[in-house]
Amino acid sequence: MATISTALRHFKEPTKEQLTHIFFSIPPVVDGVQGTEEGEGMEINAVLSLGEAVEDSYAGKLHIMPPYLAFASLDRKSVRFTIPLSTIRRVERLNARAGIYALSLLTWHGMKLVVQLTSLRPTADLFCSLLKDALKLELQRGNMKNVKTFVKTCYSEVLVNGSSAAPQNEREDGSLDDQIPNSEEITYHGGLGLKFKFPGDPKKLRETSKIKLWTTYLKTHGRNLTLLRYPQYTRLALSTCGSANPGYYERLLQENEGKTSTSTEDIEKDLHRSLPEYSGYQSEIGINSLRRVLQAYSFKNPELGYCQAMNILAAAILIYMSEEQAFWLLEVLCDTLLPGYYAPSMHGTMLDQRVFESLVQRCLPMIHEHFQTVDVQLSVASLPWFLSLFINSMPMVFAFRIMDCFFCMGPKVLFQVGLMARNYLQIQDDGGFLNLMRDYFASLGDSAHPDSPDPRARAITNFQELLLVSFREFSVISDETILSERKRYRSEIIHSIESFAKRSAVRNLRTFGRFPKEQVGFVYDALYKAMCLVPPPPAAAPPPTLFTTVDSGNEKPETRIGLKTFRHFLSEIATWARDEKIVTNGFQERIDREVAEHEFIDRLFFFWDGSCHGALSFQDLVLGLDGVMFNDLMENIEWFFNLHDKNKDGYLTKDEVLTLSESLLFIFRFEVGDAYLGAVSRFMSNAFEYGDALLPQPEPKTSEDETPSSPPPIESNQPYLNLATFRMVVLADEILESFFETDLSASFKLVPLPEMELPISSGLLGDIWSSIATDTNKKMFNMFTDEIGKTIGRHQVIHKPSIGRYTKLEEPKARESLLTPSMRKSASKSSLKSAASSTAAASTSSIATPTSSTVASTTSSSLLTVKVPSQEITNKLDAVPESGSLSAMPMMKAARDAALMERTPFAIDNTQEGDDDDDDFFDDDEEDDQVLDEVDAFLEAHDSGLTEADKKVAQDLLKAEPLK
Amino acid sequence: MADQTAAPADKSVQVKLVLLGEAAVGKSSVVLRFVNNEFQPNKEPTIGAAFLTQKCRLEDRILRYEIWDTAGQERFHSLAPMYYRNAQAAVVVYDVTKASSLEKAKSWVKELQRQANPNIVIALAGNKVDLVQSASSSGDASDSVSEEDPDDATETGGEAPAPSGGPESLRQVPGEEAQAYATEAGLLFFETSAKTGEGIVEIFTEIAKKIPIEHILASARNNAGRPGLAGNRGEGSQPQNVNLDQNAAKTKDACNC
Repeated sequence: MATISTALRHFKEPTKEQLTHIFFSIPPVVDGVQGTEEGEGMEINAVLSLGEAVEDSYAGKLHIMPPYLAFASLDRKSVRFTIPLSTIRRVERLNARAGIYALSLLTWHGMKLVVQLTSLRPTADLFCSLLKDALKLELQRGNMKNVKTFVKTCYSEVLVNGSSAAPQNEREDGSLDDQIPNSEEITYHGGLGLKFKFPGDPKKLRETSKIKLWTTYLKTHGRNLTLLRYPQYTRLALSTCGSANPGYYERLLQENEGKTSTSTEDIEKDLHRSLPEYSGYQSEIGINSLRRVLQAYSFKNPELGYCQAMNILAAAILIYMSEEQAFWLLEVLCDTLLPGYYAPSMHGTMLDQRVFESLVQRCLPMIHEHFQTVDVQLSVASLPWFLSLFINSMPMVFAFRIMDCFFCMGPKVLFQVGLMARNYLQIQDDGGFLNLMRDYFASLGDSAHPDSPDPRARAITNFQELLLVSFREFSVISDETILSERKRYRSEIIHSIESFAKRSAVRNLRTFGRFPKEQVGFVYDALYKAMCLVPPPPAAAPPPTLFTTVDSGNEKPETRIGLKTFRHFLSEIATWARDEKIVTNGFQERIDREVAEHEFIDRLFFFWDGSCHGALSFQDLVLGLDGVMFNDLMENIEWFFNLHDKNKDGYLTKDEVLTLSESLLFIFRFEVGDAYLGAVSRFMSNAFEYGDALLPQPEPKTSEDETPSSPPPIESNQPYLNLATFRMVVLADEILESFFETDLSASFKLVPLPEMELPISSGLLGDIWSSIATDTNKKMFNMFTDEIGKTIGRHQVIHKPSIGRYTKLEEPKARESLLTPSMRKSASKSSLKSAASSTAAASTSSIATPTSSTVASTTSSSLLTVKVPSQEITNKLDAVPESGSLSAMPMMKAARDAALMERTPFAIDNTQEGDDDDDDFFDDDEEDDQVLDEVDAFLEAHDSGLTEADKKVAQDLLKAEPLK
Repeated sequence: MADQTAAPADKSVQVKLVLLGEAAVGKSSVVLRFVNNEFQPNKEPTIGAAFLTQKCRLEDRILRYEIWDTAGQERFHSLAPMYYRNAQAAVVVYDVTKASSLEKAKSWVKELQRQANPNIVIALAGNKVDLVQSASSSGDASDSVSEEDPDDATETGGEAPAPSGGPESLRQVPGEEAQAYATEAGLLFFETSAKTGEGIVEIFTEIAKKIPIEHILASARNNAGRPGLAGNRGEGSQPQNVNLDQNAAKTKDACNC
């Protein structure tokens, strides 16, 4: 019905190192692609001089981040470059004045960079040796040789070589008039020297301030420069990604050829609708490359797939670049420059809209106020701007120039351009706002001052003014501003997206069952939390986490969870599906909660999987819960019966009766006292007794002294117990009756979950706190306090019971046979024997009966947790003040059952206090002491009060005992 | 219609209308046909939403439709509430040649009925009906023309398979089925073609008839003239919005709008 994504939860603030990488546009290290043995990174203070051509020197920091060398001036914007080490041909230590440690870097085409390392000598030496190692590594990899072949594909080479021929890589069209390079630009590039001579590692040289930058732009280069600058800049993106993986694009396409997905379908829909007015996209050639690029991206990143607006971006990029280049650029765009913009939840878009709104509020308070009063939502207009980088808002020529700036200077450009204020105060409603913006964008080519007497002023177009205003007036908006604003609003956006997803998931359910809407919401919350903890298996279907169902004829992706997630889900809802320990250690009282694992839960999972997907959808969960939470006594008994009737023939086999008993024991495992224990063993006895009695052909009886290894008299897969009998057996016991009447349904609890914490930190303090308050640290803290608690003897662990009906200890009632005396004669002995023997066999781990394998697994696991050697138990039993042989029998029985269950009511072990590999269980000691005392008291009080029936049971069991 | 004292006949009533539906079913084309009476074969996908206005006369009143044309792709879904908040009318569009688009339309209707303005008037439109009409089988369709058909293959290129097996075989949603659903859900229903113009004006006319205009006027009065202001301004910026008369003339059973 709906897809549920927890992707937003996984967001992490980039680390400082990652920020540096982003700043220098260095791709994150991809496992397996880059190899693991990259050299060490380091940064050092340095002064950069740009060879002979440029006069200015800049102080800044030189970073070595193999395989790149990067530099940024101190103000982080005047000068910065990122050079792949493979382009460096020679490094020389310069013979300079004393005390100056300078390096001369010679690149493959002869450009010289002089770097003066101003740090202390040892630091500089270290830096040099790192640089040397990294360079050697690059040489060994043969990357030095690759450089030349790679740069040949770059337009800038052509430019630099002064050839005016069309660039050799497949640029589709040079139709835009201002794209043809003129000499002015070439001198410009030459003048800066680094920019275009360095294909693949352009130096993003910035003028000392943006104002200067823009005056230079407007004065000397006019509108041509940006267009040329744009393909250049993208070389950076290419060099960082593409050069590392030549041929990857082709491979990707080949591997996925013929594959279809929702993304490819969506792509097909939009291929003919991408810049349709551009002639390249009216022919099959253009359409095909567009298809390949978009599909390649959707294969590369199936989670994102394809989002409308990407087609427009790709189409625009393809005008200037080859397919492969466009592919890599698209990747950089979607993954780095516009993070989360095109994700299925579009959280990045929403977030940046929020940020944009807050920037409007901050920079243009008047307009913000006005919008508030007339109730205009800014994002109705601004959302498409951001999504398609203004391409379909403005005339294309202008949009491309915005794009150039965007590539050059980063995401802040979008915000700056978006902010330019123009007649906003006239706007009265959303529609007016849109119309105004449309008209304005349409007039970008017009003169900004048509009435001005000065021809120069008249020549200034609206667009030029727009850029001027954007970058001058809003220069306060820096990348840092935007990062911090994003940080600020992220949780708000995630919450709103998540609550929207919840609403629509709930709305899309076919049925709520008998639940009110609010409770369905709680089911969703539990599901969501479980999915956050254990994401559904990604490998299950081609698009990860999505399964397609074929109900109602059309394919709808639907989120389904696997067994592991289901366990977490159930532990949120059913009290018995979690192990809760209340730990007190003198410092704190806390509840440790763990997800229980038991066959019963797995059984439930498959029981609810009505459509046999091997996975459950939200709807399955709601229906499944609906099937148990509203049941009355009879319905619950039937439900429980059906749950264990694997082949749905209306009969439980003997195996299934045993499994059912185990399920009951599992549910009751933390109940106080032995009442439930007794109830289950009575149930087993009665069930077998009855089952045997009702068998059409009683099996030939085995002798009295049967051994554990002898098979039970009845085939384990033979129909054995029908619903009516099961019902009767259950109703014979008041504890089970009350369990099925109310407790079972009530053990499913739908309650509002506490808000989940988002992995979000705010500011420095938040960072520190979040680094302290990690889960591991919490665990360590808990362990530490536990240790202290233990030494001062105040450590206590109590298992929280799942049902908690009985808060006091109660002695299990003795079983009364349900059979009439005549029936008993014929059947009782053998069945009781076999039941007892199978259980006993299990506890001694000699797997004799077919049934005991499951029992044995339970037992062994419980033994693991209990870790009390059987001898200890006997010791304990001996230690109990004997009150006659009769009273020993319930004890023995309880002990046997206790071994079956994951609790140890009689395991007292003071001697193992210091044993630290299983603290929790041995910390039960104190509690068990009390338990024991109470039991003793009880036993003494009732010593003579045993009924005849008790005695009978005891005797029966006495006979059974030797088998153990 | 009631008291003339409240609203003079020449003053327009603003109706906010939102278009919803799966991607590439022709939402934008429907609007474009209604507003500009034109058709573009390869319209760029709508990013976010587009906004257009059109006036429509109903009896003695002028309705000014403020049309929000939304993006269809699933992941834009979460943005839709921004556009349908306060909407008085919605046109949910599906593609008669694509069964899944009707399912999507149904889920939109469900969402609107639960989340949007409770009095919202919803119309269901099965678009691209020109693709399933041939010259011979256009018994019910009045002015769909046969010479349109050869273009279809190119125009809808990626969306629909080439109409090789006769136009009617392209149809995946029978009109009766959609009509039955619309009746059950209480929607207006039309089969339309943005390309030929069939049924387009009718949608907006029927919506206009069904809309509780008095209600809107009443709330507008309470809002102290805000719609009026916007309306005046809007008229200035939309010079072409009076051409509805052409439309009305062209379509036979178009009402007096």
